[in-house]
Amino acid sequence: MNVANPADREPTAEPAFRAEGLRKVYQTGETEVHALRGVDLEIPAGEMLVLLGPSGSGKSTLLNLLGGLDRPTSGRLFYRDLELTGLDEKGMTRFRRSEIGFIFQFYNLMPSLTAEENVRLVTDIAAHPMDAVEALALVGLADRRDHYPAQLSGGEQQRVAVARAIAKQPGVLLCDEPTGALDSTTGIRVLETLATANRELGATVVVITHNVGIAAMADRVFHFLDGNIARTEVHEHPISPLEISW
Amino acid sequence: MTALDLKLVRDLWRMRGQALAIALVLAAATATFVLSMGVHRSLTETRDAYYERNAFADVFAEMTRAPRAVLPQIAAIAGVKRVEGTIRQFATLDFPDRVEPVRALINSVDEHGRTRLNRIKLRQGRLPQAGAADEVVVDEVFAKANGLDIGDRVDALIYGRKQSLRIVGTGLAPNYIYAMAPGDLIPDDRRFGILWMGEKALEAATDRTEAINALSLTLERGAAQAEVIRKVDSLLDRYGGTGAYGREDQLSNTFLDNELMQLEALTRVIPPIFLLVSTFLVYIVLGRMIRTERTQIGLVKAFGYSDWAIGWHYLKFALAIAVLATILGSFAGTWMGQGMTRLYAQYYRFPFLYYEIAPSVFLGAAGLSIGAAALGALGGVREAVRLNPAVAMSPPPPPVYRTGLVERLGAWGGFTATGNMIARHIARWPWRSAVTVLGVALSMGLLFATMQFVDSSKVMLDSYFYRAQRQDLTVTFIEPRNEDVLFELSQLRGVLRAEPIRAVPVKIGRGNRTERSAIESAPAGATLTARIDADGREIELPPAGLMMSRQLADKLGARAGDRVLVEMLGGRRTTIYLPVAAVIDEFIGERVYASEATMDRIARDAAPAGSALLRIDSSQRRRILSELKAMPEVLGVTERSAAMGKFEDMIDENINTMLAFYISFASAIAVGVVYNSARILFSERVHELATLRVLGYYRSEVGVVLLGELAVLVLAAVPVGCVIGNWLARLMTAMFSSDLFRLPFAPSPASYGYSALVVLGAASLTALLVARRVLELDMVRVLKARE
Ligand SMILES: Nc1ncnc2c1ncn2[C@@H]1O[C@H](COP(=O)(O)OP(=O)(O)OP(=O)(O)O)[C@@H](O)[C@H]1O
Ligand SMILES: [Mg+2]
Repeated sequence: MNVANPADREPTAEPAFRAEGLRKVYQTGETEVHALRGVDLEIPAGEMLVLLGPSGSGKSTLLNLLGGLDRPTSGRLFYRDLELTGLDEKGMTRFRRSEIGFIFQFYNLMPSLTAEENVRLVTDIAAHPMDAVEALALVGLADRRDHYPAQLSGGEQQRVAVARAIAKQPGVLLCDEPTGALDSTTGIRVLETLATANRELGATVVVITHNVGIAAMADRVFHFLDGNIARTEVHEHPISPLEISW
Repeated sequence: MTALDLKLVRDLWRMRGQALAIALVLAAATATFVLSMGVHRSLTETRDAYYERNAFADVFAEMTRAPRAVLPQIAAIAGVKRVEGTIRQFATLDFPDRVEPVRALINSVDEHGRTRLNRIKLRQGRLPQAGAADEVVVDEVFAKANGLDIGDRVDALIYGRKQSLRIVGTGLAPNYIYAMAPGDLIPDDRRFGILWMGEKALEAATDRTEAINALSLTLERGAAQAEVIRKVDSLLDRYGGTGAYGREDQLSNTFLDNELMQLEALTRVIPPIFLLVSTFLVYIVLGRMIRTERTQIGLVKAFGYSDWAIGWHYLKFALAIAVLATILGSFAGTWMGQGMTRLYAQYYRFPFLYYEIAPSVFLGAAGLSIGAAALGALGGVREAVRLNPAVAMSPPPPPVYRTGLVERLGAWGGFTATGNMIARHIARWPWRSAVTVLGVALSMGLLFATMQFVDSSKVMLDSYFYRAQRQDLTVTFIEPRNEDVLFELSQLRGVLRAEPIRAVPVKIGRGNRTERSAIESAPAGATLTARIDADGREIELPPAGLMMSRQLADKLGARAGDRVLVEMLGGRRTTIYLPVAAVIDEFIGERVYASEATMDRIARDAAPAGSALLRIDSSQRRRILSELKAMPEVLGVTERSAAMGKFEDMIDENINTMLAFYISFASAIAVGVVYNSARILFSERVHELATLRVLGYYRSEVGVVLLGELAVLVLAAVPVGCVIGNWLARLMTAMFSSDLFRLPFAPSPASYGYSALVVLGAASLTALLVARRVLELDMVRVLKARE
């Protein structure tokens, strides 16, 4: 299998992300919404991180900043030695293109493309992609490669989305409620593929969830409250997705 | 305002770009309709009013010389209401400071104001008075072109005698709305004009005391014109009558009719194209709107609004566009019509030009645009009416893509994933794609057809002026002459070659059809004329029998090998059956040719030459012209280069105006179609495009996905546009062809290229305008929502 050696990416000391005083203020008309109120954080490379917290506490906002989809109002954000807050539009795109795999609650597959072609959407432009079919095999969908999204169940579509995210062999997988629309069995299958990517590709994985049970599979959990990380929890022995109580 | 109407207003505002783009196309339909229909009506009404007020005659006849006493006999023919005799005499005018000859056609007018038919509309001054033999009224246009004023004197050579004429008035007459010298192809106001002289004075000047050489008459209501003409002809036979004819053969009226016919053709060809495109556009835009508003429709229906209230709501959206288009188009059409009418005023001599567009024209235009918009809305409205609220509120089924031809094409062609997205999206919405292709193609076709007109006129000009006519000067004689004058002309210094042109006016009949024409002939070995057919080939005169132009042959229903009855008008009045030896496709006129031998059979003794063609040494032009001017037998001289220049000027002026109109109209279609397609495309794919951005596609790459589809469709439109353009151009050349000339279908390759370029340019600019929205794609917002 054409998979990078996790050890290459895991000089334990170096964090994947480092942020200082991240603030995000949304201006809607007269009112200001403070989505992030000066977040300082370090996310160690190769870890599985879960973000927990009430609705509106700023989890998605942080994830979007980490993924280079949006810019903070103030503060600095680094991915390894790269300062994301110093990048222009093109630089941000290049960053997403080379380092980030996204998975969303709604799968965001192209309805006009088959499963394999949806994955090829990423392998077409990535620098060191794995084979599209191989990526589908990783999520157990190699035999559905020629099916269109409309011909797949929600869980299968989400697995295609996972395959699409991991096919470029990203440094980071960012998942915003990846199991939000799925039942427990399907949800666990998806989480397994994330765990596999974390383990075998050495990708740093960040998962937002409202399901507290899922937090048990994380190396580390950030508890969000009102635009801040209220508490960090570190698991010495994260459990396997199969053991999660949904 | 009801809540639903409020929604309508907001929708219109939100979709103002798209609504405006459709309105522009529809406005182009309205504008061309108002323009051509309005000008057609104005011109028709102006003509009718002028004919009525100034008593334009119904039947005309010319003869060598008839006593006035023949008039009561003609008046006695059943069906004749009023008859008047006149003298028409060609004369040359001498402007001392000008070398080129100037011709005038002098008409007699009763000095006591008793002339009733073809009455002069005095513009300035007064009519000639009895006893003042030198007084003339000059045609206003000619006077203006030559800077003549009341009180000025002009030297004229009338019937071989020099006479000094004094201008006492300027005027116009209904039988000279279009005035052109014999042998000319185009009016030249500086070199040819109409004069009116007192009856007694002209009688004296032309030795025709109590005699006439022309008459015109009006008919009683319901009189049979053909019957009257037959009787007039038999009465005038002994006076050298050349055959009476109705308004349809009267030169000025024929040209005017031709113009009106072309305007009508315009009304029938152009607006339907725009209407068709508008219907398509309303169809796709409203269709998309209703699809995106499914849930809202369901909700509103669940609240208790009736199906028809919903249907009417969406129909009103289309109607609002139509109303806007009608207003825009009516203003534009009225304004352009003014310009066009002004152009007509230059070529036609009207004393007044009504330019008033009848309310019915505007109503018609409104009806058409509302009809087109409503038709386009029908599909969408029906869908909205039928939508079951329960079904509507559940999310729409996802678009279904299946493995089909296009998918295999992608695999076979090694498309990238984004390439596949483009190809499949096109195939997923075949109708909308077809509308885009067809709309752009129609725009290009329209432009091409317009440009082909220019090509066509140039080919016609080239064929006529450069290839068929090779003389420098055409000399018209006062009376037909024999070889002696020709010899005299050939002896002038600087004349390189002189050839006679002989023409005999005839009636040609086959079965019960009869047409007036003239048989032309040139001596064997003549080099200054040639007959060039539509394919550019030079056609020899047949040794025996007639060669006639296709137009005339078609009118007579004659084909090569048929025999026709030729009746010579005037002269010996020979009647003879002759075979049609050949039919020739020519661009101009309805002409008949014969060899000299055949001509001799018709005219018995050698028919004299009415004019001569000269080829000259151009350095001697001025001297030759002034010598010709001094020759008593010479009536006038037409210079080929001057006529050509005039013709080209006219074509350029008309065509530049026309091109400007059509380039903007055609662009309106291209812009309207591409803008709407692009906006719909964008709104449908905004989610996918944002996803691509999230996946790390650069803006430019995402732009390619959006524009790629448009580019494919627009490029596909080019060959279709060529086909449509070809067809449209052929239709238009056929519709614009008349008795006077036949337009060839002769597009230049540049016209294909240029029309494609303009349309591609308009499409690209429009697409880029929409593509700018890729810059503003909000990835985060889009990903929050389910599609
Ligand atoms: N585009 C926006 N404009 C205005 N306010 C926004 C925008 N996006 C997010 N917010 C606000 O910022 C705050 C944080 O939003 P965020 O989406 O990060 O919350 P979250 O923790 O992901 O919540 P959830 O668990 O419901 O997804 C919320 O109060 C939200 O309303
Ligand atoms: Mg969220």
